[in-house]
Amino acid sequence: MSCLTINKLSKNYGSVKAVDDITMSVKSGQVFGFLGPNGAGKSTTTKLLTTLIQPSGGSLNILGIDALKNPLKVRHKIGVVLQQPSYEPTLTVEKSLEKYGMMWNVPKNERKSRVEQLLEDFDLVDIRKKRNEDLSIGQRRRVQVAREFMHDMDLLFLDEPTVGLDPSARRKLLDYLRTKVNSGLTIFFTTHILTEAEYLCDEIAIIDKGRILAIDSPNALKNRFGKDKTIKIHLLKNYPEITKLLSGIQDSKIDFHTGISITIHSEQSEIVLMKILKILNDNSIEIDDLSAVPTNLEEIFLKMVEENVSNN
Amino acid sequence: MYPIIRLVNRNLTISINPAYLLWQIIFPIIYIFIAGFAYTSLIREVPFGSKELAYPAFLASGMIGFNIMNSTLVSGIIIWNDRKYGMFEQIMSGPFTRANYILSNICTIGIIGLVSASLIALIGYPVFFDSIDFSIVTVPLIVFAAITGSVLFGSLASIIATKLKSSEGFNVILNTAFLFFAFVSTAFYPAEGAPDPLKTAFYLNPLTYLVDIIRAGIFGNISEFVLVEMGILAIIATILFIIATKLLTKLDF
Repeated sequence: MSCLTINKLSKNYGSVKAVDDITMSVKSGQVFGFLGPNGAGKSTTTKLLTTLIQPSGGSLNILGIDALKNPLKVRHKIGVVLQQPSYEPTLTVEKSLEKYGMMWNVPKNERKSRVEQLLEDFDLVDIRKKRNEDLSIGQRRRVQVAREFMHDMDLLFLDEPTVGLDPSARRKLLDYLRTKVNSGLTIFFTTHILTEAEYLCDEIAIIDKGRILAIDSPNALKNRFGKDKTIKIHLLKNYPEITKLLSGIQDSKIDFHTGISITIHSEQSEIVLMKILKILNDNSIEIDDLSAVPTNLEEIFLKMVEENVSNN
Repeated sequence: MYPIIRLVNRNLTISINPAYLLWQIIFPIIYIFIAGFAYTSLIREVPFGSKELAYPAFLASGMIGFNIMNSTLVSGIIIWNDRKYGMFEQIMSGPFTRANYILSNICTIGIIGLVSASLIALIGYPVFFDSIDFSIVTVPLIVFAAITGSVLFGSLASIIATKLKSSEGFNVILNTAFLFFAFVSTAFYPAEGAPDPLKTAFYLNPLTYLVDIIRAGIFGNISEFVLVEMGILAIIATILFIIATKLLTKLDF
């Protein structure tokens, strides 16, 4: 069942189309990744979906509610962690969690237990008495994300929630989000960190210049757009003649900076590999290491964005 | 709990801290008991209607209006901080409307203004004890002044907070405006005896009307002019409130 349906949604600022006729839907109980380079229209889309700004055109249905007609009704059912930091500087960590729960009308006893639970879950126990203004950027971000779990919601919008977090905190947060999704929450996850999207998301939309370039699962995107494979061969010794030997083979690149390594990047990488191995064997050139680099989302993303730029 | 009450609760929590409360008590004490008695050698008595008020009594009643105005700085500071620290956007993405946000600010400054007025009235009571003339309208007049004054100056602070982008600009403009209001008024000294241009300036200042109403309530001198002042104060407060609301409604993310 879809909990978010967007139809021809657009947002113009004068002649600039920040969001250009977006149409997509998000299924309930999944993490929907929203990927794009800086300035692609991710945050504007998030602001439209969270009813913070009005669209120039299109329709928007969130959790079965017409979001353009009943934005307040929608906001009662969603959680939002915006890209920019938001905090009350003079409040302590635990007080800001408690007050946020109060703002969402969470009963007092429930608030108390949630505060304790979130302080544990987000490693905030040691800094619970610290004022927000005295926290590091990463700590503040953790408080900001934790705070949103003070209230119940059906759909959570996270706009680059891991910015400023160290790798361990980042992984912990992603795992925490996964447990929440497993218990029924739907997450709209905006990011430009592709490894995160690959790790967490069930479905991904790639946006650039306000337009959706593709929507699919990470694996399906790899299958659709990642036919090129990369194979790396590192040679044992320095063979200056290698350039000449491989001059007839297309789709291969030789790098002399880190010893000698040959990179094959081709849709038919296996065939190219066989040709290169034969040349190396015929010339008694020894191989130190050979590895296949799996196609990742980053390559697909870069390729799509580059293609979009050249098409425009 | 209604959304506005929840936001007022939050506003009061973030605005009121021990230092602020201490200052709210110490500040009037210094003015009333030190400045009030020190200046008695210069201004012994101030004519007020049919009465002659002792200067400390005159100053203490003026301090009620001054403190109401000063307290409403909180409104501008709340809006300014909410914008600066991302809480305005965060609140607007939650279960609140802009009207909730604006009304909660007005309620917050109304409460702070009332508490502040009561506090000064309490502290200043010993000095205007002799001249006080309680009547049925004393408390309603002070409450009217506290609420109207809070709305007026709170709206003004909100307008400044929504229009300015740099914190330096916000602080300079707000402090300059409020300094002007404080000293070009009858809060600290009477208009009589001041040069004519200054006297005119006193009556272009809403704080003058605010303290006149408070004094009328405390010292029992309700003239037609005071009623006119009440009307003017209410009109200015309404206009500024509408402007502040419009500006906040238009505030983009």
